[in-house]
Amino acid sequence: MGTRDRKRLRMSPALGFALTGLALAAASHPAIAAWITEALGEPARRPLAVGRLLELARAHLVLAGTGLALVAVLGIGLGILVTRRFAEPWRPAIDGLAAAAQAVPPVVVVALALPVLGFGGPPTLLALVAYGIMPVLRGTAGAIAGVPPDIREAGRAIGLNRLQILWRIELPLAAPDIVETLRTALVLAIATAAVGALAGASTLGTPIVAGLQNQNTVAMLQGTAATAALAFLADAALLAGVGRWRSTRP
Amino acid sequence: MASLRQGRAHLSDIRPLLAATAWLGALVLVLTHLPLLSVAENRLALGHPVTGLAALGTTGLVVLSLAAGAIGLTAASRRRAGAAAAVLLLILATLLLGQGLGRGAALSLVGLPPAARASLGSGCWLALALLGGALGLAVRRARIPGLGLAAGVLLSLAVAAMGHAGAFDALSLAVEYAARRGTVNAAIGEHLALAGAALVLAGLLAVGLSPASRGQGLVALVLGGLQVVPAVALLGAMVAATAALLRAVPALRDLGLSALGPVPAVVAIAAYLALPLWRGLALALRAPDADTLLAAEALGLSRRQILARIRLPIGAPILVGAVRVAAVQGLGLATLGALVGAGGLGRIVFDGMAQFAPDLMLLGAIPVVALSLLAERGLGRLEAAARRRWHA
Repeated sequence: MGTRDRKRLRMSPALGFALTGLALAAASHPAIAAWITEALGEPARRPLAVGRLLELARAHLVLAGTGLALVAVLGIGLGILVTRRFAEPWRPAIDGLAAAAQAVPPVVVVALALPVLGFGGPPTLLALVAYGIMPVLRGTAGAIAGVPPDIREAGRAIGLNRLQILWRIELPLAAPDIVETLRTALVLAIATAAVGALAGASTLGTPIVAGLQNQNTVAMLQGTAATAALAFLADAALLAGVGRWRSTRP
Repeated sequence: MASLRQGRAHLSDIRPLLAATAWLGALVLVLTHLPLLSVAENRLALGHPVTGLAALGTTGLVVLSLAAGAIGLTAASRRRAGAAAAVLLLILATLLLGQGLGRGAALSLVGLPPAARASLGSGCWLALALLGGALGLAVRRARIPGLGLAAGVLLSLAVAAMGHAGAFDALSLAVEYAARRGTVNAAIGEHLALAGAALVLAGLLAVGLSPASRGQGLVALVLGGLQVVPAVALLGAMVAATAALLRAVPALRDLGLSALGPVPAVVAIAAYLALPLWRGLALALRAPDADTLLAAEALGLSRRQILARIRLPIGAPILVGAVRVAAVQGLGLATLGALVGAGGLGRIVFDGMAQFAPDLMLLGAIPVVALSLLAERGLGRLEAAARRRWHA
């Protein structure tokens, strides 16, 4: 198989996700969503204007992006820390904590944070970080632990210090798996931001929740398509942006 | 291992003691400075905080000394018996804390109108988290098989018995539960039914999709793509799709299908659970190595016999692991089902959010978390047992 073929194959998931995202984004346009709604046999009342959709999408992206940035920094940082020698005795405890944290669904975190943080963005952000951090931590730790010990040993033999081994050997070799973990975190971030609409955060989940409550099918469909479009487009962007790192897989 | 550590023996001796001191300091701080209870005029009003020792009285001191003894034993003792004793002490401390909270709540409500509520404050949750963390550590240190399970059962039974005897009756959570006992119990049943039905549906889907060797790439693409769709959006899409289906085939309405209800929720949840189950099934079937399969064929086993006697037993741990992941995910997603009128514990959580009543939210949230942890632990145990049984 030529390099060109291989490159095309590697690009194809990103391209597929991007095309799906664009199609869904088109479906969220008021005119198309109204047409779909009528085709489904529902009256298409009160569709959302394009401007309002874009405003919600921007707020959604800001919320999910902030959360993802926090999750990435904290999760990867802690993931590196727990793979250092001194943290070895704590590994089982951290794994147990990670499993326990996954047992609390985001919507429950949002609900529990409400009395403390009030309505809107903050409880959603907390849920995003609380739910996203453990998978990233676990994924990073797993990726670094998966680096073959003889390569690490070889680094030590040529005189690299611990930091250099981390930076030049462990992280580059673990990068593809860390990127996969970040993709999961991204999808979680966008989904959790949508759930945040229940706590009054203004996101693309808002028209879905409001539409379900007011029987406004067209607004609900617009929110549904736009949220899914955002998730697919962001995933495609991440795949395309870091494809370089994924290709370092030996 | 021991020889590796010898060079740094002085450090490894001090570190557990430092950690234990920090833990005890945190517990003292939480019990003396943070609000353990919050007393309000009614269930929606903001309360004024009551800190630990004011709420607990001398019980607080007993709890602290039990905790100090337990953490000291965990950190200093190298014997199993020491850690096991620490487990007992920690269980006792937790139960005493609960009893003290109940009594403190009852005392703080004396002379107040009946609508007044004493709810659990942030300090209480932190104290319980600290005690629970230490309990987990002590159980792990003791390395006695079944100790964790026994501790969990003992703690749950004791809390249930204390609740039955009325030890917590003054706490607002118990008041709220007493007022909605029927609703909460029904919601737990609905929640389990939603998650269970989705798990079964996803399992059938995974089995149906797995044998065809062609098109597995497409299956992976579709199931993987579905994971990207946010749950709130998929639920919305399912409602629209069900509505359209009902319009096309009105006869389905007579079968009890409706656009808002459990059916779209179960289908949406199952769509997410299909991926881990399908992937787990594929990995499980591929688990036996080629030599084992050749040997089985040489013995004259049929394909069906190979599946039943070799592939499934050897792949069992992977399969149970996949079910565990899917079950925890399903129990969490079922909470969102209330959004499309499917009922379950999510309805109580959402009611609490709408009324801004923290106790009501907790009443829905605590069982969700408990069920998820139970599924995670229970199926995790089964997974480990399967691994021991077949991979000894």
